[in-house]
Amino acid sequence: MSNVVEINNLMKSYENGHIKALNGIDLTIWEGEFVSIIGPSGSGKSTLLNMLGALDLPDSGSINVAGYDLTSNKKLNEFRAKKIGFVFQLHNLIPNLSVVENIEIPMFTSNLSNSEMRSKALSLLEQVGLKDKASQKPSKLSGGERQRVAIARALANDPSIILADEPTGSLDSKTSNKILKLLIDLHKSNNVTLIIVTHDMDVARLADRIIEVLDGQLVNTSDDSLLENKIDVE
Amino acid sequence: MSFLKFIIKNPFRRKNSAILSIVGICIGIIVIVALGGITNGLVSTFEDTIHAGGADFSISGKETGDSAYGTNTIDANWTDKIANVSGVEEAYPIYVILTSVGDDYMNTLIGIDPNGTQLADISMTEGRLFKDNASEVILGKIYADDNNLSVGDSLKIDGEDFDIVGIYETGDSNMAGAVFTSIKKVAEINDDEDSISNIYVKVNKGEDAQTVADRIDSMYGDNITTISSVMEMEQMGSMLNMLRASSWGISLLAIVVGGLGIINTMLMSVFERTREIGVLKAVGWSNRKILTMIVGESLVITIVSAIIGSVIGVVLCLVLAPMMGLSPVFTPDIFVQAFIIAIIVGIIGGLYPASKAVKLPPTEALRYE
Ligand SMILES: Nc1ncnc2c1ncn2[C@@H]1O[C@H](COP(=O)(O)OP(=O)(O)OP(=O)(O)O)[C@@H](O)[C@H]1O
Ligand SMILES: [Mg+2]
Repeated sequence: MSNVVEINNLMKSYENGHIKALNGIDLTIWEGEFVSIIGPSGSGKSTLLNMLGALDLPDSGSINVAGYDLTSNKKLNEFRAKKIGFVFQLHNLIPNLSVVENIEIPMFTSNLSNSEMRSKALSLLEQVGLKDKASQKPSKLSGGERQRVAIARALANDPSIILADEPTGSLDSKTSNKILKLLIDLHKSNNVTLIIVTHDMDVARLADRIIEVLDGQLVNTSDDSLLENKIDVE
Repeated sequence: MSFLKFIIKNPFRRKNSAILSIVGICIGIIVIVALGGITNGLVSTFEDTIHAGGADFSISGKETGDSAYGTNTIDANWTDKIANVSGVEEAYPIYVILTSVGDDYMNTLIGIDPNGTQLADISMTEGRLFKDNASEVILGKIYADDNNLSVGDSLKIDGEDFDIVGIYETGDSNMAGAVFTSIKKVAEINDDEDSISNIYVKVNKGEDAQTVADRIDSMYGDNITTISSVMEMEQMGSMLNMLRASSWGISLLAIVVGGLGIINTMLMSVFERTREIGVLKAVGWSNRKILTMIVGESLVITIVSAIIGSVIGVVLCLVLAPMMGLSPVFTPDIFVQAFIIAIIVGIIGGLYPASKAVKLPPTEALRYE
């Protein structure tokens, strides 16, 4: 197994250095791994995830994801388009577009034809169990359904990594479980690396590995002990 | 879904704002199209006027100045003198008097030699020309219509019955509502064989009309004066230039006002869609693509405005212009101008908001509530 994420001594501060959001992170993640990131509010979880998805540039240190060097401004669009699928706490769907059109949005960066885009979007909708809602507007869907559409959108360009920042944060626990099960199933069936930021220990324990962030640094945790606690969602 | 369809859908998410922008730009386009049509219409009637009459210029008495159909007269023997000036091919006198015509106590009666009518700016639409020294008249179409007269009717002039033998049309407003008969008949009515009002002059082929007019001016300038269509052309030309200038002025105004309106609309739109733009960045859209999207949306608004504005401009012009005695002419260049302006406004109006969207850091955009 090769590593898909390689981070060394990564630093990121805000407000002219007064807030050290990331304060020397070293992290390796293997291809196809399912990792959860936990930690108190304001500890730097989202900042770390944003670095992994090249939504922000670090101040110093090195970060290499799926073969792309993310410390420079080069090719970041291409990287995000080809390698990363984001799932946010809020679905962030475009309200005037139908469900299937929303899933096609990331494909505008590829060179698929309109009909290829449509058939791919429909097959993704099938994977998340919403094929019958293809032509609905997002406003007609439930919160869980919207999040499933967002997951389908994240998979649109066959990413290497799915980055999910509290993907069930706005859902009730029953819906939340369904969404997690879906993410884990897709992670397995598509062999895609899954990194989830969560506050919920029950969610975190589903992962192959838990990473705890505290004040911008990783807390040393024993992988093995956590793996023993892993619950099976099925 | 194509990228184009996505761009076309977007501006109409905020319907009121889109409609407001469209109305604003539409008004500019309507004015540009209407003014263009009217200017073109004036150019073509003007060209008709210049080319219709066979005369190159006319001559009138010195004291009448430039009032071509004033009541001042010159001596009838000027016709022969002018005809003998070198370069002059033909010279025909006309005699314009005011006399009782039909029910009118006073109307314009124009006398001309039947052979000279081709030098006057008239064309027969019905019937035939009057015969020399006969009690026959031809009527301007406007006069005939106003008085419900047609060929075959008779008309009382200065107490004498005249047969109406023809109807003519003219681009010359001085003659449109007048009545023509032979110059001998007018002299008889006015009891004055020795006076005429004006002389129509046609120059030899290959002669420059202005040169011949200058020659006449230098020989007889103390007594008579030449009124050349060249002068009219200059006056008309400067008026047309003014119209064209105001058309461009309004275009410029439309660009500024329309541009500001669209910048405002698009800035609001970018602001409201901050999170969405963050998502587009997160899924890998390049800055160029986001720029294309915003400028494209702005162009959708301005091009829709140009289409609606052109249609309204043409319809409005065709309905209103005839009431003002104008006949607009629409040529492709008018619409090209309208669309070029719409495109300029669209690009200018979209670029600044687009640059705002592009500069937005993705994390900030996604955090935006
Ligand atoms: N764009 C920014 N400008 C200024 N400060 C920021 C910015 N982004 C993050 N921070 C700060 O950096 C620190 C880490 O923020 P981050 O969002 O990574 O926390 P988090 O672990 O995701 O918290 P939460 O669980 O509440 O989402 C916080 O103190 C936050 O206020
Ligand atoms: Mg967070």
